[in-house]
Amino acid sequence: MRPGLLFCRCVAVALVIGLLTLTAGCSKPSNTETNSASPTTVAGQPRTSTNISAQEKTLGDLSAFRAIAADVAAIIDKGDLAAAKTRIKDLEIAWDSAEAGLKPRASGDWHVVDKAIDHALDALRANTPNVGACRQAVAELLKTIDSMSEKK
Amino acid sequence: MQVLNRVPQVTLAFWIIKIMSTTVGETGADFLAVNAGWGQNITRSVMGAFLAIALLIQLRARRYIPWSYWLTVVLVSIVGTQITDALTDGLGVSLYLSTIVFATGLAIIFALWYYMEKTLSIRTIITRRRELFYWAAVLCTFALGTAAGDLSTEALGLGFKLGTIVFGAMIALTLLAWRIGASAVLTFWIAYILTRPFGASLGDLLTQSNVYGGLGLGAMWTSAIFLTVIVILVTFAQLNINDQTNPETVT
Repeated sequence: MRPGLLFCRCVAVALVIGLLTLTAGCSKPSNTETNSASPTTVAGQPRTSTNISAQEKTLGDLSAFRAIAADVAAIIDKGDLAAAKTRIKDLEIAWDSAEAGLKPRASGDWHVVDKAIDHALDALRANTPNVGACRQAVAELLKTIDSMSEKK
Repeated sequence: MQVLNRVPQVTLAFWIIKIMSTTVGETGADFLAVNAGWGQNITRSVMGAFLAIALLIQLRARRYIPWSYWLTVVLVSIVGTQITDALTDGLGVSLYLSTIVFATGLAIIFALWYYMEKTLSIRTIITRRRELFYWAAVLCTFALGTAAGDLSTEALGLGFKLGTIVFGAMIALTLLAWRIGASAVLTFWIAYILTRPFGASLGDLLTQSNVYGGLGLGAMWTSAIFLTVIVILVTFAQLNINDQTNPETVT
């Protein structure tokens, strides 16, 4: 085969892949597994660069994660930042293991909670953690999780 | 004089090891970064270093050595995934953009490869240069497979159940296309790209909790099963490598 022809075919394949992904992104999502029976409002859901299709679904039951976060908050209130740092790792691991199950439900929401968790992790893992900053980060995390749970 | 191909024959065992080794690689890297507490940066550096060493061993070997080849595949898989993740999570690059960039990059690698070697056949990887093109393409397919897979999750909400079916079906279609006469090289690389998101979905299907519709095996058991299968198949290949009655030769 002439090199020029093969090159054209390679470029054509790359373009087709690109076009297919763009088309897929612009179309409505097909039946995906979800926890909620009815669609919710998308108010408050950030438009991330990938979330073009209207994902009106929620992350579902986040109570297990909320429980750990509440635990961390309680430990911070006792003033033990080291113990809080240890406990929040449980949240990090639990959240990470559930990524594949949670993210497809509502990727925008997932990223919001993920960032809130990262923020709390950073606060507790700072070289010299500040009690006020940690308390606030975890409080914001709890608020974020609660706001997700309110979308039914 | 018989010159032996430096990469394995494409058999069913090849595809099984390929799919499973990428899943195990990802789980392992994730374990180090999160569970072991290394963090993304250290894990990336360590994996990059391991890949450099593995490539050195692989490229300098005088012939195809199964364990060396597959170890390199696992590490290329990890690093390819980490490149995409670094772009997406670290630099905020859109998955649409990375998918298109890596697809284009792959096309450029193939164009250069063909321009310089006049063949893209993976049955004649007999020179250092061809093998470098091969690994560059493999690395790109992992980055592309990661980007495309993540994009389908984020933009379409494609979960792991549907993902396993969809990517599995696409691989089957590619196989069918090959059988009815499509280019062997093209179908091989398309299937190769697709096995990345397929392997990821399959791994998730096994590891994820029942709550999310998975089989609930957990990362540890899934990795143990996959690793066992890999070791068995690679050992089998290693033991048969000296079987000269049916070598993959180029005359």
